[in-house]
Amino acid sequence: MKEITRSVIAIILVCIALFFVNDYLNKSSGNASNDAVTIYNWGEYIDPELLTQFEEESGYRVVYETFDSNEAMMTKIEQGGTSYDIAVPSEYAIETMKENDLLLPIDHSKIPNLTNVDPYFLDLSFDPKNKYSVPYFWGTVGIVYNPALLDGQTFESWEALWDLSLKGQILLVDGSREVIGMGLNSLGYSLNSTDENELQEALDKLNKLTPNVKAIIGDEVTQLMVNEEAAVALTWSGQAADMMWENEELDFSIPQEGSNLWFDNMVIPKTAANVEGAHAFINFMLGAEVAAQNADYVGYSTPNVAAIDLMDEEVTSDERFYPSEELRDNLEVYNNLGLEMLGVYNELFLEFKMGMN
Amino acid sequence: MEKTSKFAKIYLALVFIILYAPILYLILYSFNSGGTMNSFDTFTWEHYAAVFSDTRLIMILINTVIVALLSALIATIVGVFGALGIVFMRNKSLRNSILSLNNVLIVSPDVVIGASFLILFTMIGVKLGFASVLISHIAFSIPIVVLMVLPKLQEMNSSLIDAAADLGATRKDILTRVIIPFIKPGIFVGFFMALTYSLDDFAVTFFVTGNGFTTLSVEIYSMARAGITLTINALTGIIFVVTLLLVIGYYFVSQRGKKPVGLGVRK
Repeated sequence: MKEITRSVIAIILVCIALFFVNDYLNKSSGNASNDAVTIYNWGEYIDPELLTQFEEESGYRVVYETFDSNEAMMTKIEQGGTSYDIAVPSEYAIETMKENDLLLPIDHSKIPNLTNVDPYFLDLSFDPKNKYSVPYFWGTVGIVYNPALLDGQTFESWEALWDLSLKGQILLVDGSREVIGMGLNSLGYSLNSTDENELQEALDKLNKLTPNVKAIIGDEVTQLMVNEEAAVALTWSGQAADMMWENEELDFSIPQEGSNLWFDNMVIPKTAANVEGAHAFINFMLGAEVAAQNADYVGYSTPNVAAIDLMDEEVTSDERFYPSEELRDNLEVYNNLGLEMLGVYNELFLEFKMGMN
Repeated sequence: MEKTSKFAKIYLALVFIILYAPILYLILYSFNSGGTMNSFDTFTWEHYAAVFSDTRLIMILINTVIVALLSALIATIVGVFGALGIVFMRNKSLRNSILSLNNVLIVSPDVVIGASFLILFTMIGVKLGFASVLISHIAFSIPIVVLMVLPKLQEMNSSLIDAAADLGATRKDILTRVIIPFIKPGIFVGFFMALTYSLDDFAVTFFVTGNGFTTLSVEIYSMARAGITLTINALTGIIFVVTLLLVIGYYFVSQRGKKPVGLGVRK
């Protein structure tokens, strides 16, 4: 019995000690003030040094938490019981959150640094006048390929994917909007098309691609491309940057006919406890130097013009990740097509997948 | 006979290699200066330094340990009394149904438990965070403790209790000086099982974390979205070594538990 009592006391003491260590770390890493700003972001999507810098400059304490999908994030916010002050959803998630009344409007007078953002990325269809969201990072959908495994093909055009020599070499992301969008784009149609004939034409075109497709997969695509198990993949620019960082052979291209342009944006959820701090954080992240440092760390494309001026010329002049205005004009943001139309896209994508066998 | 034993040894070695190879492979690459898991360049400690310089990660690690220790402790206390209650229950059918209810909780999927807790907590207005994680960990650990302690109790000869009562022991004496010393090994096993269940739980925790409180498994899951960095490998290495030390510690505890019962009682 003595031994058990001793063990119980020891465990409680260890817990108390750990609790104090944690408290000490908490205070030394941030500020002693109780005004916390709770940030809910994608994993590995910010330079942690910037959080410390924000704490020092603003006096707020940062509580940082990460999520792995828009859906998980929305569920946590919708369920209540949380008080995130900042979240970073993708554009289609913002539309859903708006519809479900999960967001607070942003007071632009508290965000003077908004002027640093390229007007091109403001006032977009998913959030007119940026009432609820401010751009954080952006990117595109394109083709990543391995010249070492190819005979000199390049991918300035979607048409190149249909080349007979690519038999069983192409990986596609498992997303109906991405794949059907590629079909539509290759025919010169809008990737938000709701025209039945255009969509049917896109499907017919995609079905002809079937012999070239090796697999339709998710995040595993990175490892497969890095390990040179396939020559070509349809993927997002950020993921492509990751792959290219791991395997220098790889190259990335956005076809000229057009492609998708996506955004991750900062928003203030309805459940926020520190709206003032949230505005301060958004304004801080839009600061030129901060945004530049963050873009360097994360590796995605920043919408912040003032930051681009401060960044390495070699990175920002890279048309693959910072496409010129001219090329960008061909890019389209996904519109919210509504549940019914999304169902049509999913149906077509399923038909395409079934045709694979 | 000798031939079979040789074959058995090879088979055993093979099983252990398959079980441990992935973990050791992961740990090996935590020393890779190359930054990826594709090829091993040179030896470096830099990823371990990265783990220790990341205060947030350390705080999450400490949170995870606090939750594990506290939940295992509370679950052990509740579980031991639960097991005592079940064993001394006179009504046989009631005892069996309670035992079955206990087992249902062990076999039901974590996702179901996690989702139900999330709904419960939001319904009664518990703020997601430390408390919600701790409560849910205690809840899913209790059935395990009960199951670990029960066999020890059943093994105990009931005449021991009668003898103690005859010799004038009060009910409290019987509990603290006869029963608990006898089932002590079971209690420790239960505690360590609860500890490991809490440490490695992902599914339940995933549902009930919030407001900046995370445990290691949930955090690693989020980190992995941006590709597995070698920091995760280093962290895995540290956890593996700590677990190994725990197992060794447990081994010594259980060795002591193997002493003849008579000696144990007198303590």
